[in-house]
Amino acid sequence: MDYALQQLLNALAFGAEYSLVALGLAVVFSIMGLVNFAHGEIIGVSAYSVFLAAALGMTSPIVAVLLAVAAAALAAIAFERVAFRPVRYAPTTTGLLTAFGVSIVVQNLFMLLISPKPQSVSILNGLNQMWFFGPFAVSSLQVMELIVSGLTILALVLFLNRSTLGLAIRAASRDFATVRLMGIKANRVIATAFAISGALAGIAAVFIIARRGSVSPDLGFSLVLKAFVACVIGGFGSLAGAAAGGMLLGFIEVGLLVALPQEYGGFKDALTYVIIVALLVYRPEGLLGQRVELGDKEI
Amino acid sequence: MSQAIEETASAPAAVAQPRAALTRSLIGGLVTSLPVLVVGLLILNFAPTYYTYLALGAFVNLIVVVGLQVFMGNSNIANLGHSAFVGLGAYGVAILSTPLAMKKLSIPHAPFGFATLQLDPVSSALIALIAVGIVAAVSGKVISRLSGVAATIVSLALLIIVHSVFLNWTDLFKGNQAFFGIPKVVGLPWMMVFSVVVIVLARLFKDSRWGLQLRASAQSPQASAALGIDAKKLRLMSWVLSALICGLAGILYAYFAGTISPKLFYFQMIFNTLAMLILGGMATVTGAVTGVIVLSVGLEFIRSIESGVTIAGIQLPQLLGLSGVALGVVIVLCMAFRPSGISGRYELDELLSRFFRRNAK
Repeated sequence: MDYALQQLLNALAFGAEYSLVALGLAVVFSIMGLVNFAHGEIIGVSAYSVFLAAALGMTSPIVAVLLAVAAAALAAIAFERVAFRPVRYAPTTTGLLTAFGVSIVVQNLFMLLISPKPQSVSILNGLNQMWFFGPFAVSSLQVMELIVSGLTILALVLFLNRSTLGLAIRAASRDFATVRLMGIKANRVIATAFAISGALAGIAAVFIIARRGSVSPDLGFSLVLKAFVACVIGGFGSLAGAAAGGMLLGFIEVGLLVALPQEYGGFKDALTYVIIVALLVYRPEGLLGQRVELGDKEI
Repeated sequence: MSQAIEETASAPAAVAQPRAALTRSLIGGLVTSLPVLVVGLLILNFAPTYYTYLALGAFVNLIVVVGLQVFMGNSNIANLGHSAFVGLGAYGVAILSTPLAMKKLSIPHAPFGFATLQLDPVSSALIALIAVGIVAAVSGKVISRLSGVAATIVSLALLIIVHSVFLNWTDLFKGNQAFFGIPKVVGLPWMMVFSVVVIVLARLFKDSRWGLQLRASAQSPQASAALGIDAKKLRLMSWVLSALICGLAGILYAYFAGTISPKLFYFQMIFNTLAMLILGGMATVTGAVTGVIVLSVGLEFIRSIESGVTIAGIQLPQLLGLSGVALGVVIVLCMAFRPSGISGRYELDELLSRFFRRNAK
């Protein structure tokens, strides 16, 4: 029983992290059709700024958390301004490859300017403790991850539904031209979307640093690949789909971890992807994606 | 792009005289591979051994990039998983053709009797290609059904699946360690022959009715569907052909290097070859060739700086990551300022014939 609960919490925590990152990807994709491969490097910038701040003598974990989120949001806005604006109206493949290029550049810059080796960051280790609830021992990090992700998603939903800018973002994902006709600046909508996406990545970065206690150049890359897969199973561009896909991915991974014998543990990633690809055979448009026939006008 | 298609499509030769069209793209392919032949022959005759080794690596990249072009250039879907097929080809021949004495050292517990099997290089290569073809057909079945973005992500997932199998199925693939002892049977002459064959093949596919239909469906899915073009089938076809060419590159790599390891066929190769294709221009086979030539030279230059050089008596430190930054910058700048790459939308022979026609007038 204890074991089952532990694994359930594991799955929920993993799922929450994937959902956060996948939501960040989906927010940007739904508005400007950009497949942001550089999302992992936004996480990277956030983590490395905490590393640098800690190296320069910052000691407060709260400041570190705020710094991580702010750095990620700023990095996202900067990436958009520098790299993605020139390809804003280009076909999806162009944007995708640009983002892939940005990702390579930033990853290698970490290598070039800081170090190719992992660097230790201990400032957020305090978040990772064992909490005891009666007979149960749970990792504080996982509980926090779950709660914070839940709250963040709630805040995102409120923002998108209640504020004017949120409304503009949702409208822009349907029909950008009309949004601009209503007198809303395209740059503003897109910058906001990137800031949201970056902030979500920053929150994910906090948890990653707290869990690993170190930063490395490819820190966000594999996580973002998983988040992409989450987006694809959920239905690319759908926010609810991204969150659900992230959760599903968390459950599949932990399920495999439990089910696979120790010596086959290395095949976990491979099998996760095989399961997901098999799901796509039955629903090529994703679980929550709608089947759009060519020529359909979205209403 | 549209003009290029118009030109090919408007040529009545495509229907009325299939043989003339075939000859034209055959000659076109040969013209495109001329620069490769010239470079290869120069290196073969004049360059020291070290450069020959570099050139062999560049030729492998060339075949990979041409393979990538077959899928990406025609279907306009980014493929980020092609090095999985390069790896499968390389490991295929490694498992089949390595001498038994070597196998006792490296993979003594290989399943399915591979530990006691040794085939000659040619039949190993054929069997490895068949294996690549099967994996490509199965994965292509899924990928061809998906829309552009999802297909790209699944191609990445394929790369991770294959890489993770290489790493973890240690009995067969030797895991993270280098797989050595593969017979070194391929030199520069064979590499050149295969490069030319592959370039011509890619060109023939591009100019064939399937290639034309696939390019049309990439430009306007609706219009091409209305004309009765089965885009899924064509995407599958180009995916498999592209995978076979990449597999061939892997086989050749294994046969010239003699030693392979999984990390060779992972993201680094994707970055390199993708940057080459984008820089050259993915719409044409000429673009693939141009990109490989330009970036191979450029990267070698950057690598020499990366490892720390002495300029005017000052020893520069090691700059690990510099070549990665350069590759990424090449991709980003190309996409922003010249998405069609260096060569644009015309093949070399088309450019030459336009040039001569203009001068004749």
